[in-house]
Amino acid sequence: MKSVADILKEIRPEFDFTPNNDFIADGMLDSFDVVTLVAALDKSFGVSIDGVDIVPENFRSLQTIEALLRKYGVRP
Amino acid sequence: MSPVGHVNQVLDAIQKVKAVASAFCTNFFPVERKLQGWIEHGELLCELRQGSAFFLRKDRDFWHFYFCAASAALLRREVASLSSLKTEPVVVDLVGNEAALGDLLAVLKSEGFQHYTQFCRLARTRQPSAQLHGADQPRVVHAERADCQSILDLLCSSFDRYAEQLPMLYEIESAVESRQILVTRCAEALGGLLFFETQGFTSTIRYWLVAEQFRALRYGSALMRHYFAAQSAVRRFILWVIADNANAIKKYQHYGYTPDGLVDCVLTNERVRL
Repeated sequence: MKSVADILKEIRPEFDFTPNNDFIADGMLDSFDVVTLVAALDKSFGVSIDGVDIVPENFRSLQTIEALLRKYGVRP
Repeated sequence: MSPVGHVNQVLDAIQKVKAVASAFCTNFFPVERKLQGWIEHGELLCELRQGSAFFLRKDRDFWHFYFCAASAALLRREVASLSSLKTEPVVVDLVGNEAALGDLLAVLKSEGFQHYTQFCRLARTRQPSAQLHGADQPRVVHAERADCQSILDLLCSSFDRYAEQLPMLYEIESAVESRQILVTRCAEALGGLLFFETQGFTSTIRYWLVAEQFRALRYGSALMRHYFAAQSAVRRFILWVIADNANAIKKYQHYGYTPDGLVDCVLTNERVRL
């Protein structure tokens, strides 16, 4: 199974998604990337992330994305 | 529609719609800093309904329309009773992958909106940097506060206000303060400008323009080279260009930009077309 970092790298190969970055504030993910990321997470981890969870706070870092997945019962 | 008094009003409205959404759809991707500006200047109105939220933003002599809806079907139902769309001149942008916009286009066309123009997004990754100042390059500097009105006049006389989301004077003043506008001058006159927004590792060109009387003086290339050289930390460069403006696209391709698949369909209602 792909890791969250692998999925991010596929979406935006030009960036290094390190734990120190804020992906939103640092301009690494925009609204459209988040939509693409949600679709990829849904597919890779077999979940269906609710619209109400698609807010910038949940996509700021590897940790917040993984915490979101854990909310859906996934252990990324 | 009521005036929006606080950014949280907008964010709460969107969350309320998301909470009941089966197939959330929107054309509203607000950046907090811009939202704040619109609210402070009394430009933003909002109406929250069951399963949908509508926003109108005043822009000169017309409005931009934004929506969030729990589904395209709900959008179709609610938008039909939104009287402002019949009585005011309104422009709406739909952004996404072209294939995915069909349902939303159909909803808006059923309410009398028609195609006005289409933009495509171009992107470029970081490439070996150009020199900041070539020996024979026209001089490029950051715009100053005294340039703001001239910048606005140049933008308004060069671009289509319905299509290009032209900034208000206060936005230009803020951009000048943030050193986001590069200019070239010829004597006292503004020869050309490059207006950009950089957020972290991504930079967007909003406008790149050389005044007609100063073309063929290499102002455009000087602005672009200076921009790339000065944005050394940026990894991703993006911009929007009118999809059938082959001349502009060719120029951007020269600098390494290529389409990334996103489009912006601009629609207008009958009040704009009158």
